[in-house]
Amino acid sequence: MSLDYILTLITFSNIFAILSLSLNILIGYAGQVSLGHAAFFGIGAYTSAILAAKFGVGYWWTLLASVLISGAVGLLLGLPSLRVKHDFLVLATIGINFVVVSIFKYIDFFGGPYGIVGIPMAKIFGKDLSTPGFSLYTTIWLVAVILFDMYLNKVYVRYGFEAVKENEKAAESIGVSVPLFKIYAFTISGALAGLAGNLWTYQMGMVFPDDFSFGVSVSILTMLVLGGMGTTSGPILGAYTLTFLPEALRFIQDYRMLLYGLIIVLVMMYQPSGLLGKGGILRKLFKR
Amino acid sequence: MQDIVNALVLGSIYVLISVGLTLVYGILKILHIAHAGIYTLGAFLGLTLYHLTGNFWIALFISVFLTGIAGIGVYRYFYKKVLEESRIVPLVISIGLFIVMQDLYRLIWGPYRQPFAVDFGMNNIRIGGVVITQHQVMILVITAISLVAVYMIMNHTKLGLAMRACAEDMAIAGTLGVDVEKTISVTFFIGSALAALAGILVGVYENNVYPTMGEVPSYKSFVVIVLGGFGSLYGAVLAGFILAFAETLLVAWKGFVLPRDAIAFLVMITVLMIKPEGLFRRATR
Amino acid sequence: MRKLGFLLLFVAVFGFSAIKVGLFVPLTGIGADDGLSALHGAQLAVEYINSHGGVLGDKLQLLYYDDQTDPKQAVTLAYKMVQRDRVVAVVSGSYSGPTRAAASIYQRLRTPMIAAYAVHPDITKAGDYIFRVGTLATVQGRAGAHLAVEKLGAKKIALLIMDNDFGVSLAKAFKSEAEKLGAEIVYEAKFSVGEKDFRTILNELKKKNPDVIYATGYYFNASKIVTQAKELGIYQTIIGQEGYDSPLFVQLSKNHAANGTVITTDLDRDSEKPVVRWFIKEYEKKYGRPADMVAASTFDAIMILKKAIEKAGKADRSAIKKALISVSGEDFVTGFKKFTSFREAVREVVCQVILNDSFHRLCKIDDPNITTPSK
Repeated sequence: MSLDYILTLITFSNIFAILSLSLNILIGYAGQVSLGHAAFFGIGAYTSAILAAKFGVGYWWTLLASVLISGAVGLLLGLPSLRVKHDFLVLATIGINFVVVSIFKYIDFFGGPYGIVGIPMAKIFGKDLSTPGFSLYTTIWLVAVILFDMYLNKVYVRYGFEAVKENEKAAESIGVSVPLFKIYAFTISGALAGLAGNLWTYQMGMVFPDDFSFGVSVSILTMLVLGGMGTTSGPILGAYTLTFLPEALRFIQDYRMLLYGLIIVLVMMYQPSGLLGKGGILRKLFKR
Repeated sequence: MQDIVNALVLGSIYVLISVGLTLVYGILKILHIAHAGIYTLGAFLGLTLYHLTGNFWIALFISVFLTGIAGIGVYRYFYKKVLEESRIVPLVISIGLFIVMQDLYRLIWGPYRQPFAVDFGMNNIRIGGVVITQHQVMILVITAISLVAVYMIMNHTKLGLAMRACAEDMAIAGTLGVDVEKTISVTFFIGSALAALAGILVGVYENNVYPTMGEVPSYKSFVVIVLGGFGSLYGAVLAGFILAFAETLLVAWKGFVLPRDAIAFLVMITVLMIKPEGLFRRATR
Repeated sequence: MRKLGFLLLFVAVFGFSAIKVGLFVPLTGIGADDGLSALHGAQLAVEYINSHGGVLGDKLQLLYYDDQTDPKQAVTLAYKMVQRDRVVAVVSGSYSGPTRAAASIYQRLRTPMIAAYAVHPDITKAGDYIFRVGTLATVQGRAGAHLAVEKLGAKKIALLIMDNDFGVSLAKAFKSEAEKLGAEIVYEAKFSVGEKDFRTILNELKKKNPDVIYATGYYFNASKIVTQAKELGIYQTIIGQEGYDSPLFVQLSKNHAANGTVITTDLDRDSEKPVVRWFIKEYEKKYGRPADMVAASTFDAIMILKKAIEKAGKADRSAIKKALISVSGEDFVTGFKKFTSFREAVREVVCQVILNDSFHRLCKIDDPNITTPSK
């Protein structure tokens, strides 16, 4: 029966895989580095939590609302990226993260520091989802996001993104509208983070402001970079690795965090494109 | 009036931490988050040496020196290898290093906060209703001395010239006969030494040193260098004080409508929207 | 002698069956200091129990895990401890977020959990398997108001509110009770947990000239509040609560500024009870630092579990749950007396004053109207 332990880890891995895939659209495809991704995650989670706990809204509507609102906020917060660039953008997104968390904390409507508790279990097709059910459900969503990501990869949007990433001026000159593509990237990325937020809310049954702090943004970025930016498999590997790693390292007790940090440092030093990125060992392994 | 003194002291601390970060950013263009880990190291070394020697100034000098060396180590063993990679790679390495450092301090010095009580034997200065404590005086004086020292190094020594040249363009500086490698190391040394100084002063001022004390400075100091225009020394100094005044006055005027950090970031985002290159953009890039 | 002890321990652990209880605490990251105190408190309790005959003839075995103050890890650990390690009950030595998140899982898995010091009001609402030994912030805030208005005779009170669940609940309860008792709140300010510079708000506060200051916060906020207040010439009594209850509060304050501060708390350091004397002495001897409130609460959580297991007569989860609700007694380190029907602790609140840099008993608040938690 300790299957639930593994299944819970899989659920969390799936949620974070969706998050790092969504961040990948922003960073890996469009080249817009963000260190505030947890803000969109949080907005999605809080949307679902408020609708479900305060207004008794059913599951599918909360899901829709989370995706739409996070997407809309993504669109809105993407606007600064038209003016603010490079490292300035990184810092601006960190700032957005802090401001969003403070709003959750300081405004009573969002539950303040208590967060929002008492969210009922997700009812899907008339059934309450238990631990195995929910981990299967998140897996389905992860697969859907992967397919969507591959689709993005294929269609012309990708060319637009790539052009923006490589060189904005050159992209303009071949007729790609840079502002439009940046906004696309922020919106899609926000919407997918909203989906992850919705899954988180129903997995935990509650939300707290600190669940979406800057540290969470850092983790998402680390997962993405560790796995391999710009690939589809990389972010998933990164999310699974960094979710399972702290559990797998439990046997060394007191040195767990130390080793966790060291692994991140060493992988980045010797696999700078990520494990599944260009020249990554795992990629070579699979290619052979 | 009291608020002005408080803001000056707060600003001095921001400046001390950020100047080191600005130097490093100026030359390598790395978001050096582990700088906050260096800052904590300085504080812990200072505390340990103070307990060992019983003399604050000896502890201060040795700790600042050792931490500077540690800073060079961070460059040589971690950043140097990945300078050619995408800028996000050193950023993630820096984040990883910061995690490692904080946990290492916990393992060595324990998780608890430790008092760092130093008495300089001065009384509180009272001017009218305004109080300045001995520790505040120390912070103001040491910050002023350090800033003058950095100014002298940057503008009146060969080393400073080399540092500025590398910040402009490392390749060209190299062809002009500047020892780039040495210059970067020295930059890390000075930056880390300043961080150690800040760590010790904050430790004494707050009377506490603990493994996660770098958590807030790790992001807060970036607000300062962003406002200062990334890599501009004068900008960072001015921005540090402006931020301190903005925070203090907003808190006095409205109370804590939002936490201090959120205020800082709001100020930063507002500035970025109006001037995307920061308040004090460098003349050349 | 010592070797023999180890041998006995070895035999005890592997030779006989041991009753397993779980503990999750933050041992790395931001909450590592409280986590270590909680762990030490729990380990000391297990040692005390095992050296006094164990439970039902068996030894008690403590399994502990680090949750990094991360609700994700607390939830996964819940499954791990219940399903893999097969613990019979669990103690939370962690903060509100992880504790509240894990509580739902323990309830679902029908495993009793006792929260040692987490303050979120909804923790026990997760269900009938979830208990709390710590004082509810509402009780503590109420007690603080009585201390301020009735014992110290305050009419005008200033309120400093920390912006997390702990600070906000305390302040809310304090304010409504103080106003009911006829005092006036003349100043109110919020600050964030990491705040270091209180001079600005203290300056504003000074202008209102309150009789006392009720300041929520942890010891590291409190040490700065008292230090900076004295610097600015504010000599009114500052009233704190269990968040101040750490030897570090005194050590981190400068110029002995902690002296004169009055707090409401759980641990009565002047108590004559043998278990308290043993705890205070052993803790300092073993871990090289004086005990704090967090350690004491976690110690009691384990002691309560032990009593419940004895009462149940078997190490069975639902039997323990049924027994827990009626646990009572005198041999606890804190003032814990029993649980209410909704599984919150009834306890006496101790008021302590800091004199000569150490905590001393000032008075006890025993009035059931104040100390009984309301639903």
